[in-house]
Amino acid sequence: MNFKTTTLRPLKFIDGIPVEGTSKGNHMTIAVLLKQVPDTTAKISVNGGRVDENAVSKWSFSPYDEYALEAALQLKESTGGEIVAITAGPARCEKLLRDAAAVGADTLVHVSAENFNEFDSTQVQNLLAAAVQKSSASLIFCGKQAADTNAGSTGPGVAELIGASCVTLVTEVSSEGGGYTATRPSSSGHEKVAVSAPCVFAFDKGVSEMRRPNVRGIMMAKKKPIETWSVGDLGVDIGANGVNIDSHSPPAEKPPGQKFEGAESVSTVVSKLRDEANVI
Amino acid sequence: MECTVIAETSGNSIHPITAQLVGAASSLGATPIVVVPGGAGAEEAASIDGVSKVISVVGDCFSTFDSGAWASAIASQCSGVVIAGATPIGREVASRVAAKKGIPIIQDATDLAPGITITRPIYSGKAVETSTVSGDCVITLRANAFDAAGSDGSASVNVVDQSADISIAVKEAISKASERLDVSEADIIISGGRGIGQKENFSHLEEVADIIGAAVGASRAVVDEWGMPHSMQVGQTGKTVTPSLYIAVGISGAIQHLAGMRSSKYIVAINKDPDAPIFGVADYGIVATWEEAVPALKSALAAL
Amino acid sequence: MPYEALDFYDVDSLLTDEERMVRDMVRDFVDEEVIPKIEHACRDGVFPDEWRVALGEMGVLGAPLKGYDCPGLSYTAYGVICRELERGDSGLRSFASVQGSLAMYPIWDFGSEEQKQHYLPKMASGEWIGCFGLTEPDYGSNPGDMITKAEDMGDHYLLNGAKMWITNGTVAQLAVVWAKLDGVIRGFIVEKDDPGFSAPEMKGKHSLKASVTSELVFQDCKIPKDRILPNVKGLRGPFSCLNNARFGISWGAVGAAQACFDSAKDYALSRIQFTHPIASYQLVQNKLAWMLREITKAQLLAYHLGQKKDAGTWIPEHISLAKMNNVDIALEIAREARDIHGANGILDEYCIMRHMANLESVKTYEGTHDIHNLILGRHITGIQAFTREL
Ligand SMILES: Cc1cc2nc3c(=O)[nH]c(=O)nc-3n(C[C@H](O)[C@H](O)[C@H](O)COP(=O)(O)OP(=O)(O)OC[C@H]3O[C@@H](n4cnc5c(N)ncnc54)[C@H](O)[C@@H]3O)c2cc1C
Ligand SMILES: Cc1cc2nc3c(=O)[nH]c(=O)nc-3n(C[C@H](O)[C@H](O)[C@H](O)COP(=O)(O)OP(=O)(O)OC[C@H]3O[C@@H](n4cnc5c(N)ncnc54)[C@H](O)[C@@H]3O)c2cc1C
Repeated sequence: MNFKTTTLRPLKFIDGIPVEGTSKGNHMTIAVLLKQVPDTTAKISVNGGRVDENAVSKWSFSPYDEYALEAALQLKESTGGEIVAITAGPARCEKLLRDAAAVGADTLVHVSAENFNEFDSTQVQNLLAAAVQKSSASLIFCGKQAADTNAGSTGPGVAELIGASCVTLVTEVSSEGGGYTATRPSSSGHEKVAVSAPCVFAFDKGVSEMRRPNVRGIMMAKKKPIETWSVGDLGVDIGANGVNIDSHSPPAEKPPGQKFEGAESVSTVVSKLRDEANVI
Repeated sequence: MECTVIAETSGNSIHPITAQLVGAASSLGATPIVVVPGGAGAEEAASIDGVSKVISVVGDCFSTFDSGAWASAIASQCSGVVIAGATPIGREVASRVAAKKGIPIIQDATDLAPGITITRPIYSGKAVETSTVSGDCVITLRANAFDAAGSDGSASVNVVDQSADISIAVKEAISKASERLDVSEADIIISGGRGIGQKENFSHLEEVADIIGAAVGASRAVVDEWGMPHSMQVGQTGKTVTPSLYIAVGISGAIQHLAGMRSSKYIVAINKDPDAPIFGVADYGIVATWEEAVPALKSALAAL
Repeated sequence: MPYEALDFYDVDSLLTDEERMVRDMVRDFVDEEVIPKIEHACRDGVFPDEWRVALGEMGVLGAPLKGYDCPGLSYTAYGVICRELERGDSGLRSFASVQGSLAMYPIWDFGSEEQKQHYLPKMASGEWIGCFGLTEPDYGSNPGDMITKAEDMGDHYLLNGAKMWITNGTVAQLAVVWAKLDGVIRGFIVEKDDPGFSAPEMKGKHSLKASVTSELVFQDCKIPKDRILPNVKGLRGPFSCLNNARFGISWGAVGAAQACFDSAKDYALSRIQFTHPIASYQLVQNKLAWMLREITKAQLLAYHLGQKKDAGTWIPEHISLAKMNNVDIALEIAREARDIHGANGILDEYCIMRHMANLESVKTYEGTHDIHNLILGRHITGIQAFTREL
């Protein structure tokens, strides 16, 4: 399966209206990839072999995406440019785009795919890479992983497909010279790395929480058009699904608590934490 | 089955997870090739049981972590089912290798069965997904979820000189911040209560925390009576926390304390009173004084 | 844990997307900035200034007013804002009610163009706080007999008299004061530094402790001629303000009731007596079921009133009924919740006693419970019963 770039024509928006070409010169566009997930505090239940979406009490931004969006807004505030919020998924995701617009996203793109949850990583990345190219963004901000799949393949995968650099587990990005500086963890703490566009920044918990919207932002968000791009509109062949999801199931019941006598048992417990519980 | 393991390196040697990756590949009936990015510890990799051959990929690009460059340098050596560690570096490199090859990636598997059927936690462990892949794919495996292969092997090591353009330059190292994690964001928390005796003894918990990257929490009793910061308090009138691991030391387990931590994934309790209510919620209870148990904990964790 | 609001009949699904977004914004603010600080604010008896700033930044002050940098939201959205704020604390909602409905609204509806342009943008942003002076020491439910008076001195007005129980008085940059000019009630804008004006704080409240309550004293207070509200005369002025504020209260009280219900439910499930959670006993379940019933009715009442307000099909009596009912049930729910919490219910670790004490004020201000009964009684019978004189 190959990623096709040929049919993509960059689209620009001014006040939400598509404008041909890039008349604004080297006006920077930042795409922020946002995923709508069940709120991390929501109860997850399984019905008919799948996580039951209808039972989800609250949908939210995937938490790391919020840091990405906030960092993108701050970068835009310091250097100018435009923020394109892109989400892929079923119709319910439009709410997420409105929320992004309320805090300052300029253009809203919904890559609509009702069966998005069944897509494999290749399909997801091809779709998002095509959307990123169509938006003509040179910087891509996303979360290090989504709170539903917990995978973390999207940022680096999209970077590969569009031929961009990728820095993951980022906490901060700033513009410096003609390029960008990002802070990421290293074996001895943290490090600042220099990269240039095109680049994907996959965010860990960043330095600033996502800002709260205000009424003005909410009113503007209401009026902002949402560009809906179907798989067909993107002119990309996402191919067949290579991974078949057999089922979702509730996690295995934890074994009943075990009680040990004396400090000698500490090493047993530590091994169990590693091998049985897998938490250290 | 054709299978490649991307080794995880750590400094100048192989990271222990590599033997687990090989062990998992063997359980699928494969005799994998092990690709060692940068070549560190290639000889060590060759001694892992069940490895057909080690390919040590060396090149300038491995001096800086740039997943794009690393993937470019190693991708052509990776064929069939590619297995890597679900570590930060493993996940990222594996993602790029998968994208480069146009094959799907499944991250953080906790179980594999021939077929290949892959089991992995989703929604932070609130559900489990089982999926099947028929063609080539990349799979990353959770650390310590698979049995490690032995170390009696003697595979050959091929050195391949292959670099790629690096697009990331390290400008400045920032040494580890000494400030401690907040309990509300930590994945592991060790909390102390009145049973610790006095405020100064919290230093023992801090030493444990340093080893495993944990945050230090406290019961209300010690926050109120010893003036520990309120931000450390776990419970109904403190923070509600849901770490993967919560270690309660010298905490009785009053209902108001439980309200703040009972949804932790795993709970360890250390208390000298076998009837302390905290044992009612503990997955692993240790009936012992902290004076004995905490030093033992420190050395067991340091030895991991 | 984020707050999951009790909404048994899914009433919030009737809101517009925009109203729900505003709700979530205010709800997050209350969770993150108010609930962690409210007990401290009450103990210290202060309204934290950062709340003023945040309300201004969110852009919710004067919610339903249009133009002059005001938010221009629906009345339903205003109600939702009040509900979310009062889930935090009635004092916080009082701040917003007074600013929006009692100080900004009269300028917006009855002020001159210059007054609107001068005051409203600064009040919408929270930069300037306003207060509303109607009640006097001797005239509460009966403001029509007020004695504060204004005299026309040719090139200025002279105010004399005193107002009491004035929310935000001490911290306000301006007061909308109702006084008699030649025997007719008129509205005046008095600024903080006007000569002869002072606003000492009233201390010792057991209720609305995180809200500032003050006296306004006018001793030959001299104000320029352009500070009279030109476009209203008589009690219609203050009463139109009160209609809007009472509307907000009818929603706000539901928020306080929901907070008490949540706490009572959680407590009942975790408190074990006679070896079982008290929530498993029928008497406790009866209390919780009653709370659910009353809150759900109050939510429906508030929502429908919001629709009528937005459609312009309301009469003041509709608002009286909702204000009276919703505050009444909120107060009863707070008391029942206190009972369920046992001794813990009296601690400031729980929100119960604070809401209960707050609601006592809410029951009294903006027309006491019984004044609203009298308003409805007059509506039903056509006979006023406020006074014996006919
Ligand atoms: C409204 C309200 C809200 C509250 N909120 C909170 C809250 O948010 N968080 C909270 O924690 N509490 C809260 N509490 C207090 C709670 O009820 C308990 O009082 C408190 O949790 C007890 O703290 P503790 O377990 O440290 O102390 P204790 O109950 O005194 O327990 C000390 C434990 O240490 C053990 N011990 C003693 N010596 C040793 C030793 N050498 N080695 C090992 N173990 C030893 C003892 O066996 C005992 O179990 C609240 C109470 C109320 C009324
Ligand atoms: C915290 C707080 C903040 C306030 N903020 C403001 C403010 O910002 N601006 C402002 O102008 N005012 C404010 N008020 C004043 C409030 O509006 C008055 O308290 C209210 O109008 C009632 O007046 P009163 O207290 O004088 O009671 P009264 O009118 O004396 O009433 C006492 C009792 O008599 C009953 N009663 C009175 N008349 C009748 C009747 N005809 N028939 C039967 N029963 C009757 C009442 O129902 C009540 O039970 C505030 C009050 C409080 C407590």
